[in-house]
Amino acid sequence: MKTIPPSCPEPENGVRYWRGLDDLAGTPEFKEFLEREFPAGASEFTDPTSRRNFVKLMGASMALAGFGLTGCRRPEAKIQPFDRQPEGYVHGVAQHFATAFPTRSGAIPLVARQHDGRPVKVEGNDRHPDSASGTDPYTQATILDLYDPDRARRFAKAGNTVSREAAFDFLADLAKQSATAQGKGLAILAGTSTSPSRARLQAVLATKLPQARWFTHESVDFDIHRRGASLATGKAVAPRYRLENARVIVSLDCDFLGTEEESARYNRGYAKGRKVASANDSMNRLYVAEAVLSVTGSNADHRLRIPASQVLPLAAALAAEILPAGPARDACAGVPKPAGVDPKWISECAADLVAHKGRAAVLAGYSQPLAVHALAQALNGALEGFGKTVELHDEAGSAGAGLAELAAALNGGQVETLVILEGNPVYDAPVDLNWAVTQRKAKTVVRLGYHEDETSAKSDWLLPAAHYLESWGDARTSDGTLVPVQPLIEPLFGGLTAIEVLARIAGEPQVKPYDIVRTTFAGIAKSAVEDVWERFLYEGFLGDSAGRPVAATVDGAAVAKAVQAAPRVPAPSKDSLEVAFRRDSKVDDGRYANNGWLQEMPEPLTKIVWDNAALISRKTATDLGLINGEYVTLQAGGRTLRAPVWITPGTADNTLVLSLGYGRLLPGKVACFDGKNPVGFDAGAIRTAAAPWIVAGVKVAGSRAVHQFATTQSHWAMSGRPIVREANLGQFQKDPKFAKNFDLESHSSHIPMGTNGLPAQLYHTAYTERPETQKSAINQWGMSIDLSACTGCGACVIACQSENNVPIVGKDQVIRGREMHWLRIDRYFTGYKAGQRNKLVADEDQWKETWIDDPQVVNQPMMCQHCEKAPCESVCPVNATVHDEEGLNIMAYNRCVGTRYCSNNCAWKVRRFNFFDYNKRPNNLGDSSQGMSGELYKGPFARRNAADLELVRMAKNPEVTVRMRGVMEKCTFCTQRIESAKIARKVKAGASGDVQVTDADGLRTACQQACPAEAIVFGNQLDPAARVNQAKANPRDYTVLGFLDTQPRLTYLAKVRNPNPKMPDHREVPLSIEEYKQMYHGDPFAPHGAGHGAASEAGAGHGAAPAAGHETAPAAKGGAH
Amino acid sequence: MSDIFPRWTNKLPAQLLAGAILTGTAVSAAVWYYFTPKYTRVGYQPVQPVGFSHAIHVDQVGLDCRYCHNGVEKSWYSNVPSSGTCMNCHNAVLATDPKLELVRDSYATGKPIPWVQIHRTPDYVYFNHAVHVNRGVSCVHCHGSINKMDEVQHAKPLSMGFCLDCHRNPADFLRDPKQVYNLDWQPENPQAHKDAMLQAVHDWKVASSQNCSACHR
Repeated sequence: MKTIPPSCPEPENGVRYWRGLDDLAGTPEFKEFLEREFPAGASEFTDPTSRRNFVKLMGASMALAGFGLTGCRRPEAKIQPFDRQPEGYVHGVAQHFATAFPTRSGAIPLVARQHDGRPVKVEGNDRHPDSASGTDPYTQATILDLYDPDRARRFAKAGNTVSREAAFDFLADLAKQSATAQGKGLAILAGTSTSPSRARLQAVLATKLPQARWFTHESVDFDIHRRGASLATGKAVAPRYRLENARVIVSLDCDFLGTEEESARYNRGYAKGRKVASANDSMNRLYVAEAVLSVTGSNADHRLRIPASQVLPLAAALAAEILPAGPARDACAGVPKPAGVDPKWISECAADLVAHKGRAAVLAGYSQPLAVHALAQALNGALEGFGKTVELHDEAGSAGAGLAELAAALNGGQVETLVILEGNPVYDAPVDLNWAVTQRKAKTVVRLGYHEDETSAKSDWLLPAAHYLESWGDARTSDGTLVPVQPLIEPLFGGLTAIEVLARIAGEPQVKPYDIVRTTFAGIAKSAVEDVWERFLYEGFLGDSAGRPVAATVDGAAVAKAVQAAPRVPAPSKDSLEVAFRRDSKVDDGRYANNGWLQEMPEPLTKIVWDNAALISRKTATDLGLINGEYVTLQAGGRTLRAPVWITPGTADNTLVLSLGYGRLLPGKVACFDGKNPVGFDAGAIRTAAAPWIVAGVKVAGSRAVHQFATTQSHWAMSGRPIVREANLGQFQKDPKFAKNFDLESHSSHIPMGTNGLPAQLYHTAYTERPETQKSAINQWGMSIDLSACTGCGACVIACQSENNVPIVGKDQVIRGREMHWLRIDRYFTGYKAGQRNKLVADEDQWKETWIDDPQVVNQPMMCQHCEKAPCESVCPVNATVHDEEGLNIMAYNRCVGTRYCSNNCAWKVRRFNFFDYNKRPNNLGDSSQGMSGELYKGPFARRNAADLELVRMAKNPEVTVRMRGVMEKCTFCTQRIESAKIARKVKAGASGDVQVTDADGLRTACQQACPAEAIVFGNQLDPAARVNQAKANPRDYTVLGFLDTQPRLTYLAKVRNPNPKMPDHREVPLSIEEYKQMYHGDPFAPHGAGHGAASEAGAGHGAAPAAGHETAPAAKGGAH
Repeated sequence: MSDIFPRWTNKLPAQLLAGAILTGTAVSAAVWYYFTPKYTRVGYQPVQPVGFSHAIHVDQVGLDCRYCHNGVEKSWYSNVPSSGTCMNCHNAVLATDPKLELVRDSYATGKPIPWVQIHRTPDYVYFNHAVHVNRGVSCVHCHGSINKMDEVQHAKPLSMGFCLDCHRNPADFLRDPKQVYNLDWQPENPQAHKDAMLQAVHDWKVASSQNCSACHR
């Protein structure tokens, strides 16, 4: 029996790979030699008759070749090294490069990590003087955009693909024509940017082509902060808040912890004033006035729920109390008081601000009119905040004319060539400009776009844009520091950057972005020395390039004028509702609609995924006869919009709040799989140029249809359970260890106590079996999360998803509760209405409860607690999840058979199961109507497009397994990072014992590194200097579900609120405590004696109190109900 | 009533049972022996596109392992050298020899040499070379006497059991890190060396983890 080796997989053309001289000679002997894998002759079967011979030969074959078949061995794999090794390249070692993510009003300094030449993760840049090393969710998700299969890949003219050279020729022609015509007929539409290179090229264009016009359009305009400050001070300045210096912060509809740009830096500054460790520590205080709960509002110590249109009267009322006598104060006094607001709220808030002069800050949100911003800055001036809590930096602003002027020019036939750089005006332009038609009035439209989207469909020339991780560029952060945008990979599809396109249109000799940036840099750094440039790239910023804050005074007359000129929007009523728009916390203004991570990230307050909703209050819904999820038709200014409502706690009455950025048909398969049914609805259908943020006089009509929303957390209340423990500052100062008073084990005599005052061990741990060999004496990992610092922004969720290759599952699967986030943020609404005792209502009926009108909110990041006595470990039938000697609860994916018993046993429900192969199967992600006919259910019969899969794979982190169907997964405390740190230490130690990993090694979990508030602290508990030990020594430390006695390695620090006792909505204890007192009939802040909750047990010894006495106590209290 | 079944069918159940047990045992035994890495991997000696001989280059010429596998001390991956590394010498030594035609072609055109991978752990195993070679585990323990091989063959099973044999007993496999790349090194006094390594395990805090997290993520 002759064995035929598999045919050679090498192509016949090209270089012939030969194996020896004989082959080269092509001798017949060699050919025969080649055909036998084992030329010893044992595989020859020459005698066909004897069965004995057959068996003999088979035996020999088996011995030599393994059944004589090569198929039993694993497939042959090739190693293909370089022809020339790149200098300094070591395969398998990640490289880090400093870069920046350019935003509309600044930049976020980053360090991006790349493996094998492709970037897989972005982190904040610690070295930047701003040192806001955390990031926000948008930034973390941008890495996925880089590998988006739906991104623009081709150059096109009138829909037909053309070559790159053809496009460059066109741009060169355009440059020539424009030069002769002095730029007449050329219009450029761009977004806002702080890039000095772009500014330089803009100036070049203005000189070379003086008749060319520059227009700026941003759907969400953050420039209003600058305009407000400039108006109020009479100088061209932009405000930069230093919240870490503030003790009192007032937010006028400003979501500075969520959807304002620079939210990462604000989170950091704000959180600095929230962390307390001892009774002597002070805290800042946050007042928020807003229409719908936002991340900022959820953290407020005092929140005023008012329609967005009433924020201006509120600001005027505050200003009337605080501003010095003058025109501004008079103008404010002339503004009618905000409807439905207790005057004491305003006066006490004002008094608090004045009491903290020099340490107070007032912020206004991007959706508020200019007058509110002017008032905010006027207040900051009056409160002596300039230079302390608010810095004013010189900024002339790059804004030229806006979209309305461009529309006028287009309608007037003045535009020959319109060049659109980034942005998506066909989608997000105000609806009354009818932009889809207007844009086409230009003779030629050139579009530089990241996706072939709505605007591309109405353009002639399409140029694919490069992602910032593939581009050379520059930007300035808000303090003025120059940061580089450095590419980590060559443009995957030959994309262009905006500065390159501008340079080509200007007919500049330097068109390569690298050259442009270097020239700009030489001008700013005043140095052509190579070292300075290299240092700039290495560190990620140019030292000493920050601007100095300027001094300024408030121009009262200008502020007065602004206040008087502001349109007076009447308070909404049941018949004339108000609509407010906001930047979506996930898809922004629509630019991330095709980013699956952001679509599946639960909206921080509503926890809705893959959708947007018209948020409405309970009272308004009841008044209008609407139920949760009902489709309504909104009528405003003659336009209609059909949207589903979502009743959400804490919303102002008679208001609907809509998120922008949804309802997009075009950008790609994530935003709209079939081209017909997009994710969400387009709120822009009723957004006009005159009222881009607040629309009054809206009529709402219900329908009988109900929309199915997917939420990751439908349950709103903690129902009195001490999951998130909180107290007011006064209670904390009296009893810093208040969090321990909630421990069930301190109340129940059923749990036996050990001799050390802690609960006696109920279960055996992994360590009690063989303590000496099992527990490592070198590293023991632990983590602490500070709930006072955590604002619930969600950056950690996306960072974890990015680092650990966590897949997205789509709306249908989320409805079934199968979302895969290893780390989730649990958000609870706490409320209490005397007389409304029954909190245990079904999730579907929660929206009818009256306590949800003015709730408080608590956030809690929840991931695997890494219990020492993990309930999940003991039930795995195949031992796939075990405890390692350093305290981690680990998953061996290859062993898991998918019993799901571990998830069943986990009381925190942090284990996620791969019900399907979410990576390889195509998934109509945004559509929940597919049900059982979805592609996922087809299994191996449905595969994603191979080319798409190739690209999407590049986003995966190679240090972490990509899990397949049938495997359980969960937070591993970033075991890949832990192992890397341990290995790095051991490699350095060599033949020595210096192997302990300490904080100095820079080991941080992905969530810790992404958190801008530094709420998450992870480290080696055996290192006495580790920050995690300090955190755990904080008196606020407690364990979630501690009564289960599983001894988690992850503990939390209880939240402390800082309400103002003089405010009318002041509560003695946080609302969750009032719930707790009702459910458990005990006051955790009453003197505890030996730790019992019920006051009647005071003084009794712990184990000695009879159980009967404890149980009858509530009955004895009688009237407390 | 006549017999429906012939006599010999009386023995059939017993024979079937015996047959099943014997077959089961045989199949299990066959799988146990033939399907383990010790059998399927050890001895794998594929034909490489270029007939590179470690015996010549390491034993005879005296190259250090790290001259070619330069990433082994820094990375999890021990890299196969680029064609440029070969050409460092072979642009002068055997500069026109037909055996090296492929190497010269690769260096000139940029097309990589398709070496056949011999040592390969499954995807779910994350092995790190750097931590082993820097802490005293010599190449010879996992790769055999490569310095004597004309063609590289898979010398050890590299199964999980093989790894655990060392991880459970590191002292038997450690040596002075300076001797890691000296594959022929033998201790002068095996007993003294064993004792010294037991001491080293203590002094260097060698914590060769037997837990899943060491290799599986």
